[in-house]
Amino acid sequence: MSKTELETVLELEDGLRATFERAAASVPLAADLAGRATAGAQNAQRRTWLASGTAAAAVAVIAAIGFSLHSSSQSDPQPAASNPTPAVSNASAPAATAQTVTGSWRPVRLNGFTALKTARPEDPIITFNADGTWIGSDGCNALSGTYSIGQRGEFTSKSNGQRLVGCENVPHTAVLLATTRITSDKTNLTFFAGDGREVARYARAR
Amino acid sequence: MEFEEYASARGQELVRLGFTISGDYQRAEDLAQIALMQAFRSWRKVQRADDPHLYVRRILINSYLSMTRRRSFTEAPAADLDTDRTVPDPATDIVNSDDLWRALATLSARERVVLVLRYYQDLDDRTIADLLGIKPSSVRATASRALAALRKTRQSHRVDERLS
Repeated sequence: MSKTELETVLELEDGLRATFERAAASVPLAADLAGRATAGAQNAQRRTWLASGTAAAAVAVIAAIGFSLHSSSQSDPQPAASNPTPAVSNASAPAATAQTVTGSWRPVRLNGFTALKTARPEDPIITFNADGTWIGSDGCNALSGTYSIGQRGEFTSKSNGQRLVGCENVPHTAVLLATTRITSDKTNLTFFAGDGREVARYARAR
Repeated sequence: MEFEEYASARGQELVRLGFTISGDYQRAEDLAQIALMQAFRSWRKVQRADDPHLYVRRILINSYLSMTRRRSFTEAPAADLDTDRTVPDPATDIVNSDDLWRALATLSARERVVLVLRYYQDLDDRTIADLLGIKPSSVRATASRALAALRKTRQSHRVDERLS
């Protein structure tokens, strides 16, 4: 490469650096990129969950139909414990005691609440303490209150109220207030309303 | 470093990078947002990278190159634009005042990206090669081709200016 050519290349390279710097400097400040990216990613994740949730529900329906067909073809009645309906299987679970509910629990199913898997700032976990108090988070707000359990799983609770910050709040408080009876085994906690219907099911959080 | 911290510190740099490679401010913001969204979704992996910012820039560059490969990227709108209602674009000034910026628009997307990474981001050819998933020799060849094309375009512009 001749000296003139080399000078031309160097001039071009300097020119490019200056041009890129000027172009970059002309870019106006973009507002709240972090917030927009976070919201965008969470919306995309929500759509993925919705799609996988729908697929899972379809699989569950097919499995239930298959199971009922299989059950009806057998002459002997199936024991209640093998029935796939969760309310029935858990209704026969042992009544909860203060000892068995102590610890942290995460919601698995809440009657009438479909947004359990929505991404939230905090884990929507509830913790029952041995001293008769409970604490937790609805995903956005801290919750607390007291509870008591009778010998046959009779359940009553009070809430200390909460500060409402907008998100898909997991309604733990509503579950506890609607519950009159509670059953539990080592890993599951099931809440029942006064009419015997299942209100919610929780699993032990690790 | 947490995601919000990273996005606040480096987000604007990503928009600038997007603008230098695409020459379009709206697209630059979209690219920055796409890169940040993808980084947010796998933030733990990004954090573990030797250079998280390089990792996010790689996402942005690859998103842009994928975008340019789509047919819709080069399709021009058929309807007439209402020039009274168009949004002012910050790129207009630099386009009007800088013949080199105009000449960059004649390069292929990959050629322009290589020049931006080399002369704006000051990355060496090995890092550029790693970022684009090509060999360092390909980076040198692409840069050389792009520089030659720019020299030629500038020379023809100067001849045109002298004639007019």
